[in-house]
Amino acid sequence: MRAWAYMLGGLIVWTVHFFAIYIAASVFPGLPLGHVLTLLITLACLAADAWLIVRLRVPSGGDDFREWMRKLALVGAGISAISVLWQGLPALIV
Amino acid sequence: MSSETGFDPALYDRFPTKGERPAGELKQLEDIWCKPKGWELLTAVNNNYIGFFYVATAFAFFLLAGVLALVMRVQLALPLMGVLPQETYNQFFTMHGTVMMFLFAVPAMEAMAVLLLPQMLAARDLPFPRLSAYAFWAYAVGGLCFFASLFVGLAPDGGWFMYPPYTSTTYSPGINADFWLLGIGFIEISAIAGAIEIIVGALRTRAPGMTLAKMPIYAWAMLVFGVMIIIGFPSVILCTLLLELERAFNWPFFDATRGGDPLLWQHLFWFFGHPEVYIIFLPASGLVSMVIAAVNRTPLVGHNLIVLAFLATGFISFGVWSHHMFTTGMPTLSVSFFSAASMAVSVPAGIQVFSWIATFAMGRARYNTPTLFLLGGLITFVIGGLTGVMVAMVPFDWQAHDSYFIVAHLHYVLIGGMVFPFFAALYYWTPMTSSRALSERLGKWIFWLMFAGMQVTFLPMHLTGFMGMPRRVYTYLPGRDWDLLNMISTVGAFLFGAGVLLFLIDCARNMRFTTDNDAGNVYRGGTLEWLPTGLYSTRSIPVVKSRYPLWDDPDLPKDVEEGRYFLPNSATGLRETIVTSPLRAEPQYVQIMPGPSPWPLLAAIFTAGFFMILTIQAYYTAFANGVLAIACILRWMWDTDRLVPDKKVDVGAGIMLPTYRTGPGTHGWWAMIILLIVVGMIFTMSVFGYFYLYGIHPQFWIKPPDVTWLVPILLGHGGGAGLAILARYMLARENTELWTPGVLICCAAASLLFGFGVDCWNWTAHGLWPTASGQGAIVYAFQSLQGILVFICVLMAGYLSARNSRALIVCPRNNTMDLVVMFMCYTAVEGIAAALIARLFPGPF
Repeated sequence: MRAWAYMLGGLIVWTVHFFAIYIAASVFPGLPLGHVLTLLITLACLAADAWLIVRLRVPSGGDDFREWMRKLALVGAGISAISVLWQGLPALIV
Repeated sequence: MSSETGFDPALYDRFPTKGERPAGELKQLEDIWCKPKGWELLTAVNNNYIGFFYVATAFAFFLLAGVLALVMRVQLALPLMGVLPQETYNQFFTMHGTVMMFLFAVPAMEAMAVLLLPQMLAARDLPFPRLSAYAFWAYAVGGLCFFASLFVGLAPDGGWFMYPPYTSTTYSPGINADFWLLGIGFIEISAIAGAIEIIVGALRTRAPGMTLAKMPIYAWAMLVFGVMIIIGFPSVILCTLLLELERAFNWPFFDATRGGDPLLWQHLFWFFGHPEVYIIFLPASGLVSMVIAAVNRTPLVGHNLIVLAFLATGFISFGVWSHHMFTTGMPTLSVSFFSAASMAVSVPAGIQVFSWIATFAMGRARYNTPTLFLLGGLITFVIGGLTGVMVAMVPFDWQAHDSYFIVAHLHYVLIGGMVFPFFAALYYWTPMTSSRALSERLGKWIFWLMFAGMQVTFLPMHLTGFMGMPRRVYTYLPGRDWDLLNMISTVGAFLFGAGVLLFLIDCARNMRFTTDNDAGNVYRGGTLEWLPTGLYSTRSIPVVKSRYPLWDDPDLPKDVEEGRYFLPNSATGLRETIVTSPLRAEPQYVQIMPGPSPWPLLAAIFTAGFFMILTIQAYYTAFANGVLAIACILRWMWDTDRLVPDKKVDVGAGIMLPTYRTGPGTHGWWAMIILLIVVGMIFTMSVFGYFYLYGIHPQFWIKPPDVTWLVPILLGHGGGAGLAILARYMLARENTELWTPGVLICCAAASLLFGFGVDCWNWTAHGLWPTASGQGAIVYAFQSLQGILVFICVLMAGYLSARNSRALIVCPRNNTMDLVVMFMCYTAVEGIAAALIARLFPGPF
């Protein structure tokens, strides 16, 4: 499971972010608290993505397969960061 | 090189082996994997047969649903046509959508996987051949019964997404809706069985050396597909169950006047329904990615990015379900999130499309039939994708919702994203299963007829939608300027139909099913399914060193055929394959595989009988079918999980592997974990329903029973789990002749039954009944789910005791025991969670 969590870390962050902001917006519909929570959750998830990217940036020094996993995880974390930002934007503009 | 399991990768250097293999090995393989004859075909479980039957049946449903579409197009060709009465038209469009989505698209993709995956991974078969056979027969028998409802005017008529309150007993009093609810709910069980097979197959039966990085892109697509099914399909199983409970027993889940809510259905349905689109598209995308590399004679450009795109699609597609509900008045912020996610999900699709274009640019494309279908699919899918981004924008969706624009959009996506790739795949892989390839000349005619027909049919529908024509109307008045566009669409539909008819003629002329005399690698593919094969798959299982082993090692087919790799014989004298580790595909053990059996077929027939007869409310007959189905499944299971005399066998080059393993590394353990995820998702979605109903209508909720009642309930469930674990522990210590493990498992089941009984009794004594309110309905839905699990635990306890009494539960550890204990522990956890949630939230107020 650790290997899968390593490889899918970024996408897992995106999932946590999406469902967390959905719950926040549903529990506090139309209230400023919903927006504030969305922003806080977005910042936390961006921080998690940034942490993943920093950790994954350095080559692991393992064999080809290990490197393949690292690169996949790194790009996944990058995509996750963009998606989290994109997903959190409505809280600023709606 | 690192190792995942302790296996020394240097051992791979022993292959290909030198010297002649002993005479008679091949004959032994052929005898063990012999062809079924005559009626034995019905008992076949080998993937070559089941896969072929499966693809053919899925295609038959495509034809049937296509005929319905043609009749509908005749009805709509001119205003006020009288070909179909309104009620029949409603049944036709419902059946067209339902059959295409549930009986063609998803099963066709599973069918291709059953046919292709073992060969592509160089496994002897998928890990649970009898489960494949059961899934196929259940689907075929159930699907045909379901379709036959149309001939007696009892077909469902509420649209393929069956929204309540249209489909409640008030507005749909007949049994038409019940056919849908029970039929589709049952067919989804078959889909889940297939998904379990595919996930375990892709992760545990790959050829040695085929790490995830070297795994064919199609296997990646099917892996994500399988995971999406086990996450998404439980939701539709739950909502069909809830609506059927409402219709049969008046439990008001979706009745807003009694604390239910019709939008709950939409949430549950679309949590499955939108990922369903990607569940259909991803395998097709995998097929495209395989074929595109072959026809361009170049490795797929952006392989890793496509893998990532599959994974990203798998995640993001579960965050877009509410974009089907933009017009229902959800909170603005929530709507914005779903709109953003709906736009974001086009990014992974875009990555795939650009990778395919780049592959065409890098390679030397041959413009044969598969290539034409690939290009046609690409163009069509991109158009559908762009209109998808349009409807992801909320204001646009408000205008286009439920208009013909949506009909056009979804057909562009599904035909471009799945149907054309499917035809490309049929042309490309037919030489693998037929002694003759399909005709290239006819194939080009077929493509152009279908492609032109597709565009002529659906392009005008964008305009028809903009001009205000709502979907699902059975006719329209003259003078609204819809006439010409509808006539054009009808002409296009018949063009498309002519293409499909020509394909049938091509199949009749050239398709000759074979298992040992195929036409071979006509399109020069580079992956393992093009190795010479028999019913045993490849003669020996090669060590994989690249993504396109046939291109990189031209001697591979010869060496494999001469038995110079793993398992060149039958090491145990039985059907077997090598189980490898999930990441690096290192050999772990030899799995003994079950052979032909009539029990999966019989179990499927009785399971279908149970659900279908339940629809017509013949309860005793349905019950009898259910009992027989269970008996057949238990009988089929009885032959499995047996030891063989040799604990370790030589699988080639002196490498010894065990023939029996227990614990987390086994394929059975993985299958049980996946099954428990499915069950857990059903429960999770019901918990969502619980909170949702409280959030919408708290005024209907009453105070729960006193929390002190939690004590016996938790003791019952906790005791059940504890006793089950103790039984496993005792097995390692005791001689099975003492009966201790079997007795303990029975006590565990009794304890779970006690916990469940107290929970149920407590609610009824408290005065809450399922018909009273949304709260009552959802609380008893928890109880119903728990009741099903406890019933299965009781069955398992009886089965395990019976095996124990025949000394089939071997010490110190045994797979059957492990899996039963896991299931019982899960049942206890779910029972405890349900009891706590229902009593502590919203709590005494």
